[in-house]
Amino acid sequence: MAVTAPALSNRGGFRLSAKGQERAAGFMFILPALIIVFIFIFLPLFSAFLISFTNWNGLQPPFEAQGVGLANYARIFGLDGTTVVRDEFFVAIKNTFYYTLGVVPTQTVLALVLAFIVNQQFLRFRGFFRVAFYFPSITSSIVIATIFLWLFNRNGVINGVITGVANFLGLQYTPVTWINDANGIIHNILRLFGITIRTAPAWMTETTILGQTIWQWISGPSVTMLAIMLLAIWTTTGTMMLIFLAALQDIPRQLYEAASVDGATRWQQFRLITVPMLRPTTFFVLTIGLIGCFQVFDQIYVISQGNPAGTTKTIAWIVFRNLRDSQAGLGAALAFVLFVIIAIFTVFQRRLVGKTVQQ
Amino acid sequence: MKKTLRFLALAIALALVAVAFAPNAQAAQTVNLVLMGWSSSPSENERLQKIVDDWNAANPDIQVTLNQVPDYDTTLQKSLAGGEPPDVFYVDSFRFLDLVRAEALMPIGDKLTNIDDFYPALRNAFTANGQFYCPPKDFSTLALQINTEMFEAAGLSAPTTWEEMRAAAEKLTKDGVFGVVVPADFARWIAFLYGAGGSVTDDEFTKMTINSPEAQAALEFYTGLYLDGFAKTPADLGVGWAGEAFGKGLVAMAFEGNWIEPYLKDQFPDLKHKAVELPAGPAGKATMAFTVCYAVPMKAKNPEAAIKFVDYLTGAEGMKAWTDLGLAMPTRASLREGWLAKFPNLEPYLNGAEYARKWQFVPGFQAVLDKVNEQLSLVMSGNQTARGALAEIERVGNEVLASR
Repeated sequence: MAVTAPALSNRGGFRLSAKGQERAAGFMFILPALIIVFIFIFLPLFSAFLISFTNWNGLQPPFEAQGVGLANYARIFGLDGTTVVRDEFFVAIKNTFYYTLGVVPTQTVLALVLAFIVNQQFLRFRGFFRVAFYFPSITSSIVIATIFLWLFNRNGVINGVITGVANFLGLQYTPVTWINDANGIIHNILRLFGITIRTAPAWMTETTILGQTIWQWISGPSVTMLAIMLLAIWTTTGTMMLIFLAALQDIPRQLYEAASVDGATRWQQFRLITVPMLRPTTFFVLTIGLIGCFQVFDQIYVISQGNPAGTTKTIAWIVFRNLRDSQAGLGAALAFVLFVIIAIFTVFQRRLVGKTVQQ
Repeated sequence: MKKTLRFLALAIALALVAVAFAPNAQAAQTVNLVLMGWSSSPSENERLQKIVDDWNAANPDIQVTLNQVPDYDTTLQKSLAGGEPPDVFYVDSFRFLDLVRAEALMPIGDKLTNIDDFYPALRNAFTANGQFYCPPKDFSTLALQINTEMFEAAGLSAPTTWEEMRAAAEKLTKDGVFGVVVPADFARWIAFLYGAGGSVTDDEFTKMTINSPEAQAALEFYTGLYLDGFAKTPADLGVGWAGEAFGKGLVAMAFEGNWIEPYLKDQFPDLKHKAVELPAGPAGKATMAFTVCYAVPMKAKNPEAAIKFVDYLTGAEGMKAWTDLGLAMPTRASLREGWLAKFPNLEPYLNGAEYARKWQFVPGFQAVLDKVNEQLSLVMSGNQTARGALAEIERVGNEVLASR
């Protein structure tokens, strides 16, 4: 859904001038690609859009489905008075939101730092580190998720290491059941301060907004979701690092030389040259990170299937679940809502970060 | 030059036409069928392939290709929606009503041999609108696995009631071993719900009946084992499923289907264990039946050949060949004695056929199942009461049933 077609301008009219001929030739060159994009991207997108207005069950041929107008969209937002689909949708929104909020900033900062380090001339074995950091990104996400399932097993490596460190420091550590712990991180932190569902103020536990109490809204990601977030950060940071690395090497060295002649410190150089010069790249990294996060699916499918207690249900997961469970029309509608959400956030982000992004 | 081209084009067109018509001429003699199923254990895959090979050797006019696919539901969905379904395919009782509503299945029950021989509960699982759609190929039920070594050491006999089971769980919880493994899974808890005399919905699926004192007793019993410390979930024990926890000796009891038997035999050959029927609840014995049928699609190209083949697979001979593997149980009562002679230790599972309930709900009910699983984990984590959970399940369920 992130594909944008190149804008074709036809200011030259239809005169077959030299310029016009050139245009026609150019068009012919991109025609094969256009046809493929049309058949495999735009056509399915358009059919999915039509299906989102039907009650298609995914089992009959799609033409046999009946149109239901906006009913699917109404169910998602609870405009028809029902709450089941709406509540699940907003649980998914909450989960996806926390997931994105945790993953995107962390992986972006981490990727920038890593790129900066492996870009240093003095670093030995630079090639090795670049490969090592990039390696998780080229491995299949299903394979990595399966490995993480073992790492995060209750008797797995992660708990083993934490127990070892805790014993060394003389602390007590009760192993966490990472892949089956529905407790929210923020709830867990609040508990340290003695705030639990029993001691929280009534306006928090009794005010229900869109199917969840305020207390439930502020849960933060569940422990299981946190494990999936760590996995996602670990896999995608490498890709982002590579993009930052390419951009770092594109910054003309003269700028730094001129700055040091003018007496700028290393920090000033980083702040006033590197960061602004990386702005378009940062926008790009944030955007693809955001889109990737909103569409998170593989990891959920392998690790948790939306469990425990629905805390790892994401929007893409409920799209899939509805398609699978003979509610393809509703699933398609959800997919389009997700599309709109991503589009809104991308535009918003462009306003925020990309003010000076001009090619 | 132009003439040669024209001739060439004509020749190609003719060749294409000839190719297009050729297979049809052959089809008059031999019918080719595709049987689509999901891939299971290697021994099951091999056995089914052998049954198909034997059929092909005996029936030169009906040749069957076995297609065992991964990600079965998606593949079936695509082929049905594409209008080119396989000639015979598996249908799980859980998906059955979905497919009936989509008019994807042909009712072939009355064209089969001796259908009264199928256990009524299993025939019923594939009956809708008064029509028997497809014959059950085999089935599994839930039973209680007990670790006989632990039971003997503690001087306990196999529990037959809930009270005995709870007492045994309490007594066997020691030295890092837990009494029983309880997954936060509706497909297990529901056997206790029925054992307590509760129900999920009314018979016509018009409204939820789950918010009852019986259901509360079942939920409190099931989650009580966990909250009182006599039970753990598979994830708590760091294993993938209940069978693994039982095999590794982390728990003394587990309730699972007969698929656990070959697994334990393979992975834990030294484990001393036996299966007994699920302990009876306040309302008597109850268990769940999980079953799969061989279905023929509504748009079958060769319905007669497909029905003939299905009739063989689920007939006395074909079913015997299949169930003699000892993995799944025969759905024909007439095969009971012969099968039990071969697998006497599986009798508790087969006995379940008499009182088992089907694992089947109406289309769209998945949302309710998700809600039940969610509420089960909430109750087990102490964040929800049994009454609150049932009320929430009832609310969501009624809304789903009302919007059908």
